[in-house]
Amino acid sequence: MARIHLKNLDAVGRKHQKLLAGYKGLLLVCTGTGCVSAGGFVIRDSLQAMLKKRRLDKKWLVVQTGCNGFCAMGPILVVQPEGIFYEKLNEKSLEKVVEEHLVGGKPVKASMHKDLATGNPIPKMAQIPFFAKQQLVALRNKGIVDPENIESAIAMGAYAGLRKALTTMKPGDVLGEVVRSGIRGRGGAGFVTGVKWGACIKAVGPSLEHPERRPPVLVCNADEGDPGAFMDRSIIETDPHAVLEGMCLGAYAIGASEGFIYIRKEYPLAIERLEKAIAQARERGLLGRKILGSDFAFDIKVHRGAGAFVCGESTALMASMEGRVGEPRAKYVHNVESGYMGRPTVLNNVETWANVPVIVEKGGAWFGSIGTGDVAKSPWNGSSGTKVFSLVGNIANTGLVEVPMGIRLKEIIFDIGGGIPGGREFKAVQTGGPSGGCLPQSMLDLPVDFDSLTKAGSMMGSGGMIVMDDRTCMVDVAKYFIDFLKDESCGKCTPCREGLIAVSEILGAITRGQATEALLGELEGLCDTMAVSSLCQLGATAPNPVLSTLKYFRDEYVAHIRNHKCPAGVCKSLIRYEITPNCNGCHVCSRNCPTNCIAGEKKTLHVIDANACIKCGICRDVCKFDAVRVG
Amino acid sequence: MNDEPLPWRAGLTVADVLREREFVFPLLVVSIDGVHVPRDAFAATAVPDGAVVVVMHLMSGG
Amino acid sequence: MGSATTTELAPSGVEGTIPVTVDGQALEVKPGTTVLEAARMLKISIPTLCHHPAVEAYGACRMCMTEIEVRGKKRMVTACNFPIREPTAIFTESEATKKQRRGVLSMMLARWPKVPVIQSLAGRYGVQNPGYQHPLRNEAPDACILCGLCVKACSEMVWEDVIAFAGRGAKRHVTMPFGKQSERCTGCGTCAYICPTGAIKVTDEKNNPVDPARIRKYGFRLTKEMATLDDSQCKMRRVGTAHLVEIMDAYDLLPTHNYKFGKHARIAEIASPVWTSLVRQNVPDGCWVGCQMSCAKAVDDFVPRTGPYQGKKVLVDGPEYETVASCGSNIGVFDPHDIIELNFYCDTYGIDTISFGTACAFAMECYEAGVLDKRKTGGLDLKFGNGPAALELLHHMSRGEGFGVIVGQGIRQMKRIFAERFGGDPRFLQDIGMEAKGLEYSEYVTKESLAQQAGYAMAQKGPQHDEAWLIFMDMVNKQLPTFEKKAEALYYFPMWRTWFGLMGLCKLPWNDVEPEDNATRPEPNKVPGHVEGYENFVSGMMGGEYTIQDILKMSERVYNFQRVFSIRMGHGRREDDRGPYRAMGPVTAEEYESRAERYDGQLKELLKVDPAGRSTAEKMALLRRYREEQYEGVLDAVYKRRGWTRNGTPTPETLKGLGIDYPWVVEVVKARMAEEGSA
Repeated sequence: MARIHLKNLDAVGRKHQKLLAGYKGLLLVCTGTGCVSAGGFVIRDSLQAMLKKRRLDKKWLVVQTGCNGFCAMGPILVVQPEGIFYEKLNEKSLEKVVEEHLVGGKPVKASMHKDLATGNPIPKMAQIPFFAKQQLVALRNKGIVDPENIESAIAMGAYAGLRKALTTMKPGDVLGEVVRSGIRGRGGAGFVTGVKWGACIKAVGPSLEHPERRPPVLVCNADEGDPGAFMDRSIIETDPHAVLEGMCLGAYAIGASEGFIYIRKEYPLAIERLEKAIAQARERGLLGRKILGSDFAFDIKVHRGAGAFVCGESTALMASMEGRVGEPRAKYVHNVESGYMGRPTVLNNVETWANVPVIVEKGGAWFGSIGTGDVAKSPWNGSSGTKVFSLVGNIANTGLVEVPMGIRLKEIIFDIGGGIPGGREFKAVQTGGPSGGCLPQSMLDLPVDFDSLTKAGSMMGSGGMIVMDDRTCMVDVAKYFIDFLKDESCGKCTPCREGLIAVSEILGAITRGQATEALLGELEGLCDTMAVSSLCQLGATAPNPVLSTLKYFRDEYVAHIRNHKCPAGVCKSLIRYEITPNCNGCHVCSRNCPTNCIAGEKKTLHVIDANACIKCGICRDVCKFDAVRVG
Repeated sequence: MNDEPLPWRAGLTVADVLREREFVFPLLVVSIDGVHVPRDAFAATAVPDGAVVVVMHLMSGG
Repeated sequence: MGSATTTELAPSGVEGTIPVTVDGQALEVKPGTTVLEAARMLKISIPTLCHHPAVEAYGACRMCMTEIEVRGKKRMVTACNFPIREPTAIFTESEATKKQRRGVLSMMLARWPKVPVIQSLAGRYGVQNPGYQHPLRNEAPDACILCGLCVKACSEMVWEDVIAFAGRGAKRHVTMPFGKQSERCTGCGTCAYICPTGAIKVTDEKNNPVDPARIRKYGFRLTKEMATLDDSQCKMRRVGTAHLVEIMDAYDLLPTHNYKFGKHARIAEIASPVWTSLVRQNVPDGCWVGCQMSCAKAVDDFVPRTGPYQGKKVLVDGPEYETVASCGSNIGVFDPHDIIELNFYCDTYGIDTISFGTACAFAMECYEAGVLDKRKTGGLDLKFGNGPAALELLHHMSRGEGFGVIVGQGIRQMKRIFAERFGGDPRFLQDIGMEAKGLEYSEYVTKESLAQQAGYAMAQKGPQHDEAWLIFMDMVNKQLPTFEKKAEALYYFPMWRTWFGLMGLCKLPWNDVEPEDNATRPEPNKVPGHVEGYENFVSGMMGGEYTIQDILKMSERVYNFQRVFSIRMGHGRREDDRGPYRAMGPVTAEEYESRAERYDGQLKELLKVDPAGRSTAEKMALLRRYREEQYEGVLDAVYKRRGWTRNGTPTPETLKGLGIDYPWVVEVVKARMAEEGSA
């Protein structure tokens, strides 16, 4: 393939658009990891076979796209140009779509999305509430481009920002736009990206301290490890060139010629697409020497991580890249001064990099106008742009959403997320990954931005959002996250290692009803030491799940300790299952009980043998008459 | 210096003397008029006119 | 004197320093000084568990959490690794500081309630046992507290990385690879020594030292010096002895062209950066297990151009300084590849690189001087600098072929053979044949150091510098101006150095790294701090208290025995203690004229002879007579100091004083003395 130059970038895009225009329509099959696990690849291949069989393959083009975002509904197919959205497809319903819609011209209502309230089918994707309130910047090409085809990305505007920078901007101008945008790091800490880049440029020298210029390094942190978070994976699986272009622009601004993407080995599809994208970009002259025919040179290597959560911490990540044990070090000397191999290093996460091309193309002011506060005054004075969240837990519309900063929690959870399924009540939402905090009903009006979340005792983190319903015990939730962190703590520093062991032990005692109220004071003392004295942010933020639940759900702790009760009915030591007179003796519970501890004649009230019951809750889940009670 | 005359000039430092005499051996003990000059002060220490400079080379090697 | 005085004394306003206060006391520090260092300068104690000055600050235990204020903002930092870069106020005992230290201690106490260092710190900060039960509670007083000092020490001090942390979080523990005793562990004991709780035990089942702790204490001191000082001193760990190549050249001491000269214009081609670039693995390759100096280096993936290993990849042990000089500059070879290949084949054939190089240099000078020609060498073009010819000669030696058979017998035999068979001038051959007592010289030019001429030629085994290396003391420092001073040095150092041989120890740790305070000690040349270490080593090993005097006595007995053995074998005479003139001065006009200024100056100053108008031959003769007389003066002085006769025979009184006057020993010296008397 010929190398692309500054002058013919548009032509390459136009050529691909022309190719697409030769079809009657496009069939966008989601092949993000969520849909793939629901059968996305099977749908893609079957669709191609069905078209071929009907000699329609010259008429309709099947495009495999990255994550569409509406993961709960996979496998997903969107039929363009009308934008008809089909969900939860299987081969049978797909055949029907081909027959009736593609051949017959009549969209299939049965496979369309249904309105949660009315049950009426919603034909077009744009009309579905899940999509309506989103604003796509980082995910601008989701569900549209083929992540394995660079022309597809170029046709949608990829590398136009880079061309703009190389033809009309000096490196300082690129930095200026990034500063003006006010964008703060999407990886968790929310440090101002432009300030970080500026500090790196200063550290590169030459300076009094370093008379020789020190070549800087760019790193993309794709070591997403939070339970329930998949923003970064999806961006790479969907639009890898957005990340590559962002890094190219960063390299141009900072003067780097070497970049790395640190990605966990557990993301095979993302790695595969990333490596394909890098290979294509190199081949087309968008990476390597003489990028787009200019004198700018930059290349990217992929570094696979082994999946330790702590390796998402920047210094641990760099230690891992250097071939050492992935353990953090003190950041009193910042990475921008001495990072990877002691070189000035800029580390940003996937989403941050993916935003950069848009900032350069549309201008920092445009980006700064989205979101909260006035970042024109100071980048610390608000949260600009949009943020991608992975919305999971007890929520109707599980998926990937991108919303403007400042949107209210309830808008995300109820308007986009469709609320709590199964007629349950909302109880809490956990933001910011395992070391974020749990926010209650009363905080649902909270604007979602860096500073508001931190003030409320949680954090933005990288954008995990876990919704919990009223069957969730907050002590149990805190223990779940503490145990996750206990296992993922590297163990280097005392407060994180010993603090997590001790906190887990105390939470365990509470959930078993073996704690005293004095231990709550002990718990808070441990949390304070962890927050202040830990070596890295993993330990320093680890107390958040405990502190935020203590703040908003203290009565639940007290109930466990004082009354030996778990109000949500979760903590096994404190509950017993009973069958109420609602029981009509249908036998479903006794058939499903793994320990056969439910007895009762057909059509008579059943009874649970409390001594044999292991409190697994299956009886309650399978009962259609709400006759199983936890007390 | 070391029992040999050493031409003096204003501003002459211990480091200058060592460089000019090609005293490149790392294990040196320097004293001026009997006062020991620490290694990290070689560049900052001026040699006064008429001073007795001793540059003692230690030994190394088998 | 109150704190006000301290403030006045502080070099306030010194350029490039930063004002700091610690608990209100002011001082100025260099940028990058840590909070801990600043506090310690004022003798203010900050508790630490994972910190040791010999290893990089790890910042893991968090015991040293300290409140600081920079630009009006207070924050908590770890004192051990927070670098001061702007004016800072440090509060080592503020409530915030104490709160965090208590918190950390409480966590440690919950897990390791009986470890003394933790108990004592808990006492200092009034920390009680917490109210929860730690699931990993360990009541052993010598429990591992995961401070990481052993891991850091093994990595940074010992360069072995044999022990490391394994497991994350609660599973973190110190172990060796795969949880097994590692073959690479040298048993140096550094980890055990640095461990604050005694969790690592060293068992010594073989040597049964009387006081192992005493030995370890001094062993650790050396390990620490290597870890913290070597990089700014001799770079033995990173470069090895090859660091001397360019240094010897700078002092005109690097033998080139069979010791004619002491420096060469092409020095850069064989200087230490060349060797460090070839020694790629640069892992500690101690020739002796447990050595922290680890100066041995290896070139890997080397492909010889000649010989049985031609074209194959081999690993070469070296090159060291002596090899670079003997197989390099001394034979005029400045191609590193040739030097490494000579090194490799000497090792492979079991030939000493010094003896080969010096013998080859002699043959080359004879070749250039016309004593030899291609016919006599079997076709070898033995010009200085012909590396391939030197290699071919080496292969011939190993196979016992042709001219190699002659060179293989060494210089003493070559001198005889070249004179007898090839008509060489025996006096010229004697002057330039660098051997004494039948052994080839090692690689230092001794022309300007009378003491070292004797140090070489008087050495019992032959001219090897392991008895004495006095060139700097004598030639550069001018510390040995009289015969008596030279004799004293030629008493102390040979006795001291012989002791290493008696103990089976390497001498390099004595003087290739020096203690930080060495320069301020009396007689720094003797490295008194290390002499004390060896006194403690031998005392700790054998029990009792041994001083340097006892050590020297041990050596002196053996040294005199060696001399008596030589006498019994018909050697050990005054003439055996003389070297060739090449070791003492310019043999050829070329040599004299290359350093004419130096030699003319000496004629004027020492001999009171005006060199003007005299021929080179005349001046050489004058100089030679003077230097040979001087040498005899040194011999007399040394014999006297050692209690030997003028012919170098230990007297019965000397033997008696040393307690080795056994009849069969006295008999040998008496017989020699009778022979002297008759002579």
